[in-house]
Amino acid sequence: MRLIAVILLVGLLGGCAKHEPARTATAPAGPAPDGEKLFMLNCATCHMADGSGVPFLQPPVKGSAWISSADPQPLLSLILRGSAVLGEGSQAFDNDMAPQAHLSDAEIAALATYARQRFSVAPPARPVTPAEVAVTRNRPGLP
Amino acid sequence: MKTLPLIAIFLLALPLARAALPVPDADNGGITLPPGFRALVVADKLKPLRQVAVAPNGDLYAKTREGGIYALRDTDGDGRADVIKEFGNGGGTGIALRGEWLYHSSNNAIYRYKLAPGELVPAGNPERIVKDLPDRRQHAAKAFAFGADGRLYVEVGSPSNALGQPDRARGAIGQDPTEFLKTHGGYWSFAADQPDQTQADGRHFSTGHRHSTTIALNPANGRLFIAIHGRDQLSTVAPQFFSDDDNAELPAEVLHELTEGANFGWPTTYWDPHKHQRMLNPEYGGDGRKAAPAGKFPDPLVAFPAHWSPMQLAFYTGTQFPEKYRGGAFLAFQGSWNRAPRPQKGYNVVFIPFNASGLPAGGYEVFADNFTGKAELASPNDAAHRPHGVAVGPDGSLYVTDALHGRIWRILHTGETK
Repeated sequence: MRLIAVILLVGLLGGCAKHEPARTATAPAGPAPDGEKLFMLNCATCHMADGSGVPFLQPPVKGSAWISSADPQPLLSLILRGSAVLGEGSQAFDNDMAPQAHLSDAEIAALATYARQRFSVAPPARPVTPAEVAVTRNRPGLP
Repeated sequence: MKTLPLIAIFLLALPLARAALPVPDADNGGITLPPGFRALVVADKLKPLRQVAVAPNGDLYAKTREGGIYALRDTDGDGRADVIKEFGNGGGTGIALRGEWLYHSSNNAIYRYKLAPGELVPAGNPERIVKDLPDRRQHAAKAFAFGADGRLYVEVGSPSNALGQPDRARGAIGQDPTEFLKTHGGYWSFAADQPDQTQADGRHFSTGHRHSTTIALNPANGRLFIAIHGRDQLSTVAPQFFSDDDNAELPAEVLHELTEGANFGWPTTYWDPHKHQRMLNPEYGGDGRKAAPAGKFPDPLVAFPAHWSPMQLAFYTGTQFPEKYRGGAFLAFQGSWNRAPRPQKGYNVVFIPFNASGLPAGGYEVFADNFTGKAELASPNDAAHRPHGVAVGPDGSLYVTDALHGRIWRILHTGETK
């Protein structure tokens, strides 16, 4: 119950920040629809709608270890802090990924849940929660 | 009466000249061309290719993005490369022949090999002409060309979208570009034959561009022309002002003349190909309606659709193609990724007419197309090919390279009407 309350509260706050409280409050059960919209708005331009990436410029998210990891924390850290978490030496693609910390915890949770369900090697057992995003947001550096 | 034999000789010679051309592929290597043009595949399934240069004897030199340089020779005149050798390493983009030298660029240096007469693969080691150029991965390709003054003109791109903080993120705020542009976003000229010059040894020739991956000298008037890649992600940075449709159609890719002291308006502005107007970038207060201050930056000579990605410009110096092509230029576009989530476009080679003064006559037309093999393309990964390099051969054939699966086409004018 407490978790649901947190999800609703953060969802409402996230929605308020975008002046769209009704959308979040009345969204159908489960975060997947919102996550898809957020993915298309924030990720698809670089990673492509089908998650295949762009040769040499941006990596595919489809089947990537970041997406497929059972623990969502590395992915959340990447979303919040951008490709800086990779370290300069390990970057194999030309373009940098901007931090997406302007998204709310609820938005990132929905986005990560959608991306993991659609693009991971094996679909994850459970959705990512806003509380998990909050933990990563407040923890500096790599998880 | 005297003219009759001359005409007869001309008419006899015409089919002979045509007969010297190789036999094109039945499917033109999968691409589409204007009536009268045909194509064949010179080589296929090489590494992803970048720019290409053709030697006076017809040998091809094609740069790979992450490997060496391919040298290709057709020994039996059928148009196919019979000898294919890869040499060198370090990847990069630019390649050009100048006298007995083969110049090429990595992402942080310019090198040259000496080529002995008739030699396909240079025997010696390369000489480094420019070293330690900035390379921060993004927009690191180093285009170069030789000016009419004999100097080497080298691009240093901007490892940035629009110098936003954080760059490419929603609400990005534009930074003061003054310091950044001292070493990025411009062309520098160097002595063409002096080893180990640094950026500081070069002459800072132009400024204020994001990334230009091609520069070419128009032999008709000795003037240099460059193509510039426009910015990405307007709707990501400022979704309150730009829709996904706006992002797919803005801003233009542009062609400019490279003149000393020119400032091409990046990062504060972009060119709107629909309004035919220079606009303020959202990182610097733009909202899709605010125009940039007039007269501060040059208007482009040609504006192309957004995100097509211009990769190599080649002036048509041959005579094989009909009169309308002579003195004009071909520009290879490798096609978009940044129109997503809208369909991708611009995987083609266009022809740009130039006038008698050696300046663009206005506009362009798509010349070679269907490199993707698809009517609609969602992702670059789904394309069959991505055109990248384009160069003119000694017999006037046009060569095009593929940045995806390493194909090289040779385009011929056969005059066929079917």
